[in-house]
Amino acid sequence: MIKTVDLHKSFKIEGQAEPLHVLKGVSEHIKKGEVVSIIGPSGGGKSTFLRCLNMLEVPEKGHIFFEGVDITAENVDINLHRQKMGMVFQHFNVFPHLSVAENITLAPVLTKKKTQAEANELAKELLARVGLLDKLNEHPGRLSGGQKQRLAIVRALAMEPDVMLFDEPTSALDPEMVGEVLDVIKGLVKSGMTSVIVTHEMGFCREVSDRVLFMDGGVIAEEGTPEEVFNRPQNPRTQEFLSKVLY
Amino acid sequence: MGDYFANIAKILSQYWQVFLLKGVGYTLLLTLITVFFGAILGVFICLARMSKINILSKLALGFGEIIRGTPMLLQLYVGYFLVPKLLPFRPSEFLCVSVGFIINSACYVSEVFRSGIQAVDKGQTEAARSLGLDGRQTMTKIVLPQAIKNILPALGNEFVTITKDTSLASTFFVGEVMTSYLIVKGKTFLSMECLTIVAVIYFTMTWIMNRLVGRMERRMRTSD
Repeated sequence: MIKTVDLHKSFKIEGQAEPLHVLKGVSEHIKKGEVVSIIGPSGGGKSTFLRCLNMLEVPEKGHIFFEGVDITAENVDINLHRQKMGMVFQHFNVFPHLSVAENITLAPVLTKKKTQAEANELAKELLARVGLLDKLNEHPGRLSGGQKQRLAIVRALAMEPDVMLFDEPTSALDPEMVGEVLDVIKGLVKSGMTSVIVTHEMGFCREVSDRVLFMDGGVIAEEGTPEEVFNRPQNPRTQEFLSKVLY
Repeated sequence: MGDYFANIAKILSQYWQVFLLKGVGYTLLLTLITVFFGAILGVFICLARMSKINILSKLALGFGEIIRGTPMLLQLYVGYFLVPKLLPFRPSEFLCVSVGFIINSACYVSEVFRSGIQAVDKGQTEAARSLGLDGRQTMTKIVLPQAIKNILPALGNEFVTITKDTSLASTFFVGEVMTSYLIVKGKTFLSMECLTIVAVIYFTMTWIMNRLVGRMERRMRTSD
């Protein structure tokens, strides 16, 4: 479904002559229906890699094939492809000037995937699924962090994407709200949604993932089933990282 | 001191129309014209400044720096002498001076627009783009509606500033409040008394405007 070939990305840092090389050749293949988690230390390139997958970050070298199309090519209409890739952000990024319902229906209607009436129906159905139906006409300012993130997930799902990208979806939440968001994601991946999840929630990662990638220093340093990566890590850097986060 | 207040009363009874009708009328008219057309021109300068076309952006930046780096009075003089040369008919002083004000205000307002837009969290743009909206949809449906909340109060403050700055137009005798001062002082030779009247008029206008801006700011904040 998503295939990356030798992705490179660096960022210019103000006041520094040398750009920061964040991705140093990442090649990866995410298959349909697969749930792939990405773990690793901060600055290892996890989020940058995820944000490259829908071209929010444009890699300077390498290719990304989404459903067979090279979306790094110049003549590609990236908006059409992004409509099939949902993304959930660490800081929710819900639209504060729109009601909960409008947050969800805006994109399907603007991109002409649905009429307003169809989108409204879908919004209600999705909100009911995550337990937010009573917030339909509220503004996001009145929601808790956990509710905002559930809304953000629903907003992405309303586009009926083929794949969901999660960028540390629980990192900005108060501890007591992590569970409700993880439950929604769990339900989603169990329903067969192809997902790529950058996360620091090791227990969750172990439970839901088909495959775990350990990223460090801009490369995928180790990958395998959760069983392999967590119980029998081969790479010393993986071992060191896990010894620090699993206690 | 008794003379002073008696003089003010006398001046007011005789010349109140000059101050309150003609003066305030022209001041408000000049301010409205300046803010309205300044805002429209400001949008274009802001668009040029934020454009991906490098030359356009540099031109807008350079133009803005020149306008903000030179005195407004100088710009009014330029408008006063330049505008008649550019038009086939003989424009009024009021029109010539307005052009100077509009260009000056547009430069300041374009910065207000730009900072208002840039103050909207980048995550909002990213979320909109990740849903597959194009750049234009993201701007009109997500960024601008939020930027307006930053921009409108600042635009209100621009209104207050321009109200005071229009006093510079008295150099060209266009009829606003400061021109009234010149007229009445010329007839009565009572400078301090006339200045007091003018000060009270300006203060009252800006005081009312500041209240309105404050009310607008509170409204914007609660609607989040």
